[in-house]
Amino acid sequence: MPSLKDLKIRIDSVKSTRKITKAMQMVAAAKLRKAQESAERGRPYAEKMRDIVSNLASSVKNIAGDNKFLGDGSDCKKFLLIVATAERGLCGGFNSSIVKLAKSRIAELTSQNKEVKILTIGKKGREQLNREFERLFIGHVDLSNEKNITIDTARKISMDIISRFEDGEYEVAEIFYNKFASVISQIPSSYKLLPVSFNEKESDASNVSFNFEPDEDEILNEIIPKSIATSIFSVLQENAASEQGSRMAAMDNATRNAGEMIDKLTIDFNRSRQAAITNELIEIISGAEAL
Amino acid sequence: MTNKFELSVISAESKVFEGKVESILVPGMVGDFLVLPNHAPCISSIRPGFLEFSEGTSDKQRYFVSGGIIEVINNSVSVLVDSAVAGDKIVKDDITNLISEVNDRLSAVDTINKDDLGLRKNDLEEALKQA
Repeated sequence: MPSLKDLKIRIDSVKSTRKITKAMQMVAAAKLRKAQESAERGRPYAEKMRDIVSNLASSVKNIAGDNKFLGDGSDCKKFLLIVATAERGLCGGFNSSIVKLAKSRIAELTSQNKEVKILTIGKKGREQLNREFERLFIGHVDLSNEKNITIDTARKISMDIISRFEDGEYEVAEIFYNKFASVISQIPSSYKLLPVSFNEKESDASNVSFNFEPDEDEILNEIIPKSIATSIFSVLQENAASEQGSRMAAMDNATRNAGEMIDKLTIDFNRSRQAAITNELIEIISGAEAL
Repeated sequence: MTNKFELSVISAESKVFEGKVESILVPGMVGDFLVLPNHAPCISSIRPGFLEFSEGTSDKQRYFVSGGIIEVINNSVSVLVDSAVAGDKIVKDDITNLISEVNDRLSAVDTINKDDLGLRKNDLEEALKQA
């Protein structure tokens, strides 16, 4: 049985751990609110962008002449997987669930003899994937200096991705992230960025004929990089919100566990204190009897 | 009877303007154009410049936009912009900064993209004169 002093030290240490996890939980809650708000503000732009692209697509469908960004990516050989994770740990299964999904996709693609390349956003994903797939890496985006995700960051990433696409480094780009379903539930998901395919959603304005200025092809070349930047932006925002949500849940759990541990240790502590007192009393009484 | 139509100006980070307007002057990629009620459906890209619209009798509102996309459909106009600053708040320095940014990129990129950036620079310088 540990001595009274040992128990006391352990209780104190668990108490200070609880303080830290409690503080982290509250910080995460505040950050989550901010992340959700900014995701909310960016939503109208993303929705409108999607509308315009699908309107554009339904008009372009009838026209021959292929745009380089369009296609369904069915018979492509070279894949780029963009794995978006967090810069920090201590957020439950957040990072590893994304990595797990990405890994299963890598396995699936390599078994089909496809060429796979990896680009990571956020330190944690790189650390986890580096062990196994170092030779597949073609780049990494460091977000540790970004307090809040801005559209400029997303633009830079998308410019990099597009120039690699134009150079023929890959034919299909998929991005992996955690979809923010609710504060307590984040779903690891993947999303195809390139090439753009339009079969997903039939637009309601498909029978309106638009005038284009300049022509469709030029507008597509202009709008697709923008819509990719927007997609990356909203993915990063969802990821940020998911990260904070996940951290909040994890830290809430940790705080509760620490509380339970403290209760248990306090009972142990009291019990051994009582045992020590009883022991001393017995010694005194038996000493007195002997006289 | 005054005809009005819906206009929303949206940037990636927030909604800039939403409301009913009588007319919009758009700095289109090919040239400026005016959108009035019952305009034919169109999609056009926007060069950097000033977006002007009037809500009615009051003065025109002016926004500096740094490029984007406009969609006109069924009397509702959406303008998606990279960034927008209200005309009275725009500081010439902002545009000058943008120009120098483009200059930096001009010296960095290869010849293929040079034309685009050069055009963009011209647009920005034009906007600077109007500011």
